[in-house]
Amino acid sequence: MFEQLVDGILWDIALVIFFVGILWRIIDVLRRGTRRDLSVPRNSGVPGAIMANIRGFFPRREIAPRVRMKVIAGYMFHLGLLILLFFAAPHVKFIAEHITGFSWAAMPYWAFIVTAQVAFAGLILLWIHRLLHPVTRLISRRDDHVGAILVFLVMLTGCMALAEISSELRVFHRFTVELLMIYFPFSALMHAIMFVPSRAYSGATFGRRGVNL
Amino acid sequence: MAAENRHNSGRVRKIVLFCVFSLLVVVTVPLIPYAIDAYAVAGKQASVEKVAALENPAINLWNDVRQRNERTQGLTQVQGVDSGVLINKAGEDWRRFRVEQLVPYGAWFMGGILGAIVLYYLLKGTQMMPGGPTGVRIPRTTLNQRTAHWFTAGVFWLLAVTGLILLYGRFVLIPILGSEGFAVTASACKEMHNLFGPLFILAVVAMFVLFIKGNMYNLGDLKWFAKGGGMFGGHVSAGRFNAGEKTWFWLVIMFGSALCVSGLLLVLAALVPGREVLSLAHMFHGISAVLLIAVSFGHIYLGTVGVEGTLDSMTTGSVDAAWAKAHHDQWYAEMMNDSAAVEAADQEQGSGLVEGGVAKPGQAPGV
Amino acid sequence: MSTPLERGVETLKAQVDARVEAYFSSCTGCGVCAEACLFYLESGDPRYTPIYKTEPLRKVWKNDHTLLGKLSSSIGLSEPMTESDLSDWEELVYDGCSMCSRCSMVCPVGIDIAYLIRKVKEGLAAAGFVPEGLQMAGERALELGSPMGLTEKSLRNAISGLEKEAGVKIPIDVEGAEYLCMLSSAEIVMYSEYITALSKIFSAADITWTLSSKYFEATNTGVQKGDSGLAVQLLERMVKVATELKVKTVISPECGHAYTTFRWDGPNILGREYPFKVMHILELLDQLRADGKLKTSGSFDERLTYHDPCNISRRGGVLAQPRQLLNQFATNFVEMDECGEMNWCCGGGGGVSSNERAEPLRLKVFNIKKRQLDALNVSTLVTSCSNCRTMLEEGLEHNEMENIEVIGLTELLADHLE
Repeated sequence: MFEQLVDGILWDIALVIFFVGILWRIIDVLRRGTRRDLSVPRNSGVPGAIMANIRGFFPRREIAPRVRMKVIAGYMFHLGLLILLFFAAPHVKFIAEHITGFSWAAMPYWAFIVTAQVAFAGLILLWIHRLLHPVTRLISRRDDHVGAILVFLVMLTGCMALAEISSELRVFHRFTVELLMIYFPFSALMHAIMFVPSRAYSGATFGRRGVNL
Repeated sequence: MAAENRHNSGRVRKIVLFCVFSLLVVVTVPLIPYAIDAYAVAGKQASVEKVAALENPAINLWNDVRQRNERTQGLTQVQGVDSGVLINKAGEDWRRFRVEQLVPYGAWFMGGILGAIVLYYLLKGTQMMPGGPTGVRIPRTTLNQRTAHWFTAGVFWLLAVTGLILLYGRFVLIPILGSEGFAVTASACKEMHNLFGPLFILAVVAMFVLFIKGNMYNLGDLKWFAKGGGMFGGHVSAGRFNAGEKTWFWLVIMFGSALCVSGLLLVLAALVPGREVLSLAHMFHGISAVLLIAVSFGHIYLGTVGVEGTLDSMTTGSVDAAWAKAHHDQWYAEMMNDSAAVEAADQEQGSGLVEGGVAKPGQAPGV
Repeated sequence: MSTPLERGVETLKAQVDARVEAYFSSCTGCGVCAEACLFYLESGDPRYTPIYKTEPLRKVWKNDHTLLGKLSSSIGLSEPMTESDLSDWEELVYDGCSMCSRCSMVCPVGIDIAYLIRKVKEGLAAAGFVPEGLQMAGERALELGSPMGLTEKSLRNAISGLEKEAGVKIPIDVEGAEYLCMLSSAEIVMYSEYITALSKIFSAADITWTLSSKYFEATNTGVQKGDSGLAVQLLERMVKVATELKVKTVISPECGHAYTTFRWDGPNILGREYPFKVMHILELLDQLRADGKLKTSGSFDERLTYHDPCNISRRGGVLAQPRQLLNQFATNFVEMDECGEMNWCCGGGGGVSSNERAEPLRLKVFNIKKRQLDALNVSTLVTSCSNCRTMLEEGLEHNEMENIEVIGLTELLADHLE
């Protein structure tokens, strides 16, 4: 019963909410539009927007020592999660069967385990840091905690199902994934997409003035 | 305002403590009768075997196969570790140790410590700060130390819970979940345990590096031990860490390392020559785990409901001057001489940006 | 008649645009911005975290522009805006932020936090939560034409004094001059050497220029306060005099926020392009240098450093010019450890300097600059913003560092003309 629900209708609902939700959020930004900047530019804003999107991946030298922990743990978690998402053998198989129709090389089991450990360490460190640092403790919203816990649960159920010996564990994992997909478009998890226009807007503004963001 | 905050955080703390305690009680107490049971059953089986051994006519051959008198290796064309052994007696010894000793004694030990703590709490209650909080804050831990602590604590409990399920699940969970239900639970726990295990290595290393300073024993610690750490009254003098804290630190480092090494051997079983190494590793793993879990009850008790104001050092990173004076008088005197640090923490309630005060630009917190 | 809260909330609602939407949707509360903020680092108070200062706008956006927010608002689950959501932020935004934009440079998801804080100010100003000092400066700017209360008469007196004293000619209201130089009030009452320097430089380069007696003030209190209506009125006056005098280029003085406001934000605040060009005085000087019209002689051998005004460097893009100009004659020019687009603010930008209440905090955050200067052991500190200059002088005095002389770049250059 639960298995049918999770593999069937709930999956379809989650998929629709996930993609339509994201699309709607993007349209919501674009539809507001920005007024044309009427000041005479020093440089074009386009390279600024592109450069800001690239440079945003690296912390500035001036603050790097102060944010080392956030950057290292952040990269561990984000890269780990991305690699797990697209290169874990069960995921490759699932994506090929249900979404793309074609597959690609998955990583070996040991790489999978190491990646998962790196991602878990990153996520746990980031969350502990969020709770302990006076700044993040002050500015974190309920949404930030819910997002972190949901992602943790998805990863935890995923690793619980690693032995692939029972459908209960697989269904449990898929269920948490569906919860995450439904929650995603309405939450701060949207930063996974919105960082692109956000960096572009700022990068263009600064770029027009001749400043590299 | 500050009083309200304290009141609030006190309430939150009580709720958290209640949850943690309930969890511990729920996990441990039900194990006790099963452990007693298992002990009795194992005893019976042992006496049956003794009788059978006396009356068998092909006793020499069978004794060799069973490896009763000495370790015998047969000849075989199969190449591999232990392939010349028909019946691995060491395996049986290990099984017996696990079922007859580790399981029941472990349960008694953990349950006993927990019971003693509850009893102590009921008799003595929370040890309050003498004279109440002064409002003067003294920085005690850095953000990195606290991060390492909670990382270790988180990973430790994830491993402890999954490990205990694997150790006691047969007695506790099969009656509730049934065999199939437990098989699924056990598989999930084993995967989680193996995956999170290596993170504990990082945690132990981080704890060692970040907390070694101030945790070396000195002569004054003997006095502390002699007075029982002030558990039964009387004043005990201590520096930054008292002898009890130092002991906990070294227990974590030593038994934590034992857990890491034995755990790695068990995870990488395919690379380990011989089952005996593995059973030995398992023995060490089980004993160390039970010991650390049991002592951690005491650590958690003292850090939370046991002593007022202790938890602050792991949340905000600073402690009240009254707390420091009562429990770490030598360290208190040292810190009060460094008035700049106290002022900074006082102002910021220990934002813990950088040890000993407010951060300066370009001053790296360090990892 | 609506309540202050309603006015504030309505104004904040109107501030939400695509950028606000993208910015708030991207914020994960990572706290990196705090590590770039001088107010947080020096006070240690997490409430000065840059993104926390935008909380009123974020709350309005959340309740009014997101699906979950609207849903929970409609069933009464969301926390509605209260007056304290605005009043409690007055101190954070006006006293605890100099709009230096250093946070915007480091945000991992690229949020221009200063852009958001500027919008929060609109809401606070509409609700009337503005520090008295800034409020008064705005009123003086509107009524008298200058936030310091200077009038045409004060300007004329100052100029005749200067002409007598230095023996230079300072043109006023010359129609058809090539350049119209705007001023900040501080340059009339405290740093009039700047005007003398202009006169020397323009005559050396043989270029026509003029001041305007009708409206000379380049600063815009409307922008500092977050009052777009006032900002438009003040900008219109500036456009009007420039158009009437038929100048080709308007020169923004040695003032940081005047430059960003007039050069970059002005056309967008007015909603139309200017019929003239706007340049910062340093841009013009560097262009004259490149064209060979501005030759220096002699050298300045004392150890000196350059303080980047945030609005000229980071938000204005005038980064290379001051360095090229200084290198012509300064033989002992050293840079601070963090300079250029990642400089540290003097602490008095964004209207903080007009807000007497903020003085203790401002002097506290000056410690960053103090440490930067201590590390260099310089005897001269050059800058190109009269507001920075005042703040630096006050900060140095407060820290008993008067052995360091603060000087404007234009003035220093005029002393080394061929």
